[in-house]
Amino acid sequence: MKAIIAILTLVLSAAWTAGALAAESWGLPEEEKTRFEAKVVDALCELTGDCPDRCGGGKRQLGLLTGEGELILPLKNVVPFAGATVELLEFCGKQVTADGLFSTNRGIKVFALQFVREAPDGKWQRANRFAGQWAEANGVDAKSKTTQQWFRNDPAVMKVIERDGKLGTGK
Amino acid sequence: MKQRNLFAALLAATLCAAPLSGAYADKRHAAADTVKVTGEIIDSWCYLTEIMYPLGTAHHQCAVWCAAGGIPVGILSDDGTPYILLSFQGNGQSVADPALLDLQTHHVVLEGKAFERDGMHYLVADRLVEDHGIVNMTDEDYGIQPFGE
Repeated sequence: MKAIIAILTLVLSAAWTAGALAAESWGLPEEEKTRFEAKVVDALCELTGDCPDRCGGGKRQLGLLTGEGELILPLKNVVPFAGATVELLEFCGKQVTADGLFSTNRGIKVFALQFVREAPDGKWQRANRFAGQWAEANGVDAKSKTTQQWFRNDPAVMKVIERDGKLGTGK
Repeated sequence: MKQRNLFAALLAATLCAAPLSGAYADKRHAAADTVKVTGEIIDSWCYLTEIMYPLGTAHHQCAVWCAAGGIPVGILSDDGTPYILLSFQGNGQSVADPALLDLQTHHVVLEGKAFERDGMHYLVADRLVEDHGIVNMTDEDYGIQPFGE
């Protein structure tokens, strides 16, 4: 009986974990939840052969290259107004399992990264480390409202908006 | 007999693998022509998903936020083709590039190398040829996206 309960508990917790890590719908056009394995590559390197160390060290867009040779460029992570490079940089050159959403619109398929882990069985990470890194770089608490609204408090953003206005026209 | 079977299997595997690796090799490091692309500098995520109105003055602030957050910056050519910028003025940088923050929503002419890979257009921009500033005044119709402030 104890063995059955133990097995049941194990199965249920595995199912809960898998469910918790499954991609969440964002209501995007032609949205498709997806999970696939791919190699993390520097997109510019992949296209041109210009390949600096560490996939450009965070200054370049990173792509996901599937076993079939398809280059998928993640445009988004789960932090408001933030991209996926920061989430993928530590996996440069490695195989990962990417979990998230495909969306097809205007005839183009895009990908939003929600979870990632080193393949085949690394620890799942939610694609939200941008917030922590931004907080650390700006000397604020990662759970603060300042970090939640990072886009209104980012020094580079504030400089541009103060100079050009919200419309960009100086008004 | 066993050797013949092994040979046949190896031959079959080679023939199957060759077109795949050849197709991939063709895509990788593909030669590209130098082109001039004229259009508006955009935030690729909002434009391609249309989660909000994504162009002109109405979307300028959001485009600056997204560029600072590392979402790929693009250029929407006047013929309607969106390109992802993978380098600007030869700097090999495409994440939170301050020069691209300054250029959000501007109508420009860029010169560089264009690539198409798996349905996505990319531009490696070597040179900003012309900067016409912001010419797409959309805020009267669409307000300020996405929060109205």
